[in-house]
Amino acid sequence: MLTLYRPGDGLLHRMAAGPKTLLLLTVVLGVSLLPSTWWAAAVAGGVAILAYAGAGLGDRMLGMRELAKQLFSIRWIIVITVAGQLIFLGPEPAVANTARVTAAIVLAALLVLTTRVTALLDALERGLSPLRHLRLDPQRMALLLTVTLSTVPILARLAGEVRDAQRARGGRAHLRLFAVPFLVVALKHADELGDALTARGVR
Amino acid sequence: MSIRLSSVSVRLGDVDVLHDVSLDLDARTVAVIGENGSGKSTFARLLGGLVAHSAGELRILGLNPAKQSAELRRRIALVFSNPDSQIVMPTVAEDVAFSLRAERLRADDLRERVVVELERFGLTALAEHASHDLSGGQKQLLALCGAFVRRPELVIADEPTAYLDARNARRVAGHLFEDAGHRLVLVTHDLELAARCDLAVLFAGGTVAAVGEPAAILAEYETILKC
Repeated sequence: MLTLYRPGDGLLHRMAAGPKTLLLLTVVLGVSLLPSTWWAAAVAGGVAILAYAGAGLGDRMLGMRELAKQLFSIRWIIVITVAGQLIFLGPEPAVANTARVTAAIVLAALLVLTTRVTALLDALERGLSPLRHLRLDPQRMALLLTVTLSTVPILARLAGEVRDAQRARGGRAHLRLFAVPFLVVALKHADELGDALTARGVR
Repeated sequence: MSIRLSSVSVRLGDVDVLHDVSLDLDARTVAVIGENGSGKSTFARLLGGLVAHSAGELRILGLNPAKQSAELRRRIALVFSNPDSQIVMPTVAEDVAFSLRAERLRADDLRERVVVELERFGLTALAEHASHDLSGGQKQLLALCGAFVRRPELVIADEPTAYLDARNARRVAGHLFEDAGHRLVLVTHDLELAARCDLAVLFAGGTVAAVGEPAAILAEYETILKC
């Protein structure tokens, strides 16, 4: 799974969802704005390591096991980012840019790792409430964002099931042969999720 | 029960999936049976406000679903056959609590309602467990828990035991038939469950073929199945 709440009692767990979102957003923004140099790559990596070490994720390895899991789950993003830039920009910008992107992703994941989805939903509703003036429904927008986050692991499972079904029928690995059935099951899930939300009183 | 349909039809695309259905259901538990494609699930979705009727008059709990859908959804709960499609939140306790969001309860009251319902469905030990990693039976119990925590007046269950083994099917049925102040419309292929209801409705070809005592309706259905 890409991200999912991990129970714990660290500083980030104890912080209210709203201020925590702003704090992590600031750190992610700071990392994103670093220059494309070797030392910036080291700073981005260092910030990510320190953040996981201080988060109190309870993995008995000072957050490093969780950080490794997160890095593994985005390995293809890392590979594609670094490979593309190595060809066109050279080693220093390639490594620095990839380190910044990777750090930003894993730092953002800390929000979901240390915040219950319901707390996040409440905070988003509060944070988006000024949008009422623009005739937008903050409850609906917060629900959309939260359901999107919690649907990521479900889509990962559906993708696994599509691959298993293809293997069971002797199919070869092929992007098009995977993408079409995956799109079908993802849309079916979206349809059923809509029914489930309606059935549970969500307008 | 107060479910009244008068010449109700449901059109999906160019097809009348339900046509000219007239029913007056007044029993605590109602079984809805029939072959695949007979219109049972569309009937359940119609009662749950998931599809709109294209003709006729419909009143559920005295409400008009076309004009009072929000009030109706507050008073009814739906349970589907596939529990995966009903689970919205990542952990068991959060998923049950999600059903109560619209009620805007105080945090303590919300927690208490969730704790009581988890206990009732035997899910207390799994409260912090990832909901999508549960077994099929546990997921269906969670779906039921999420439905019952809202204290609905009417529960509409569409083949809720379809994917379950015998033990879990019995547990789920036990909760559905338990008299917790709700009425039940149960769409099912399990004729033993249908026989436990107070009233049975047989659907065939998108309309009602028979309504009455479960024993008589099941006998009629058996005759159809032998043809």
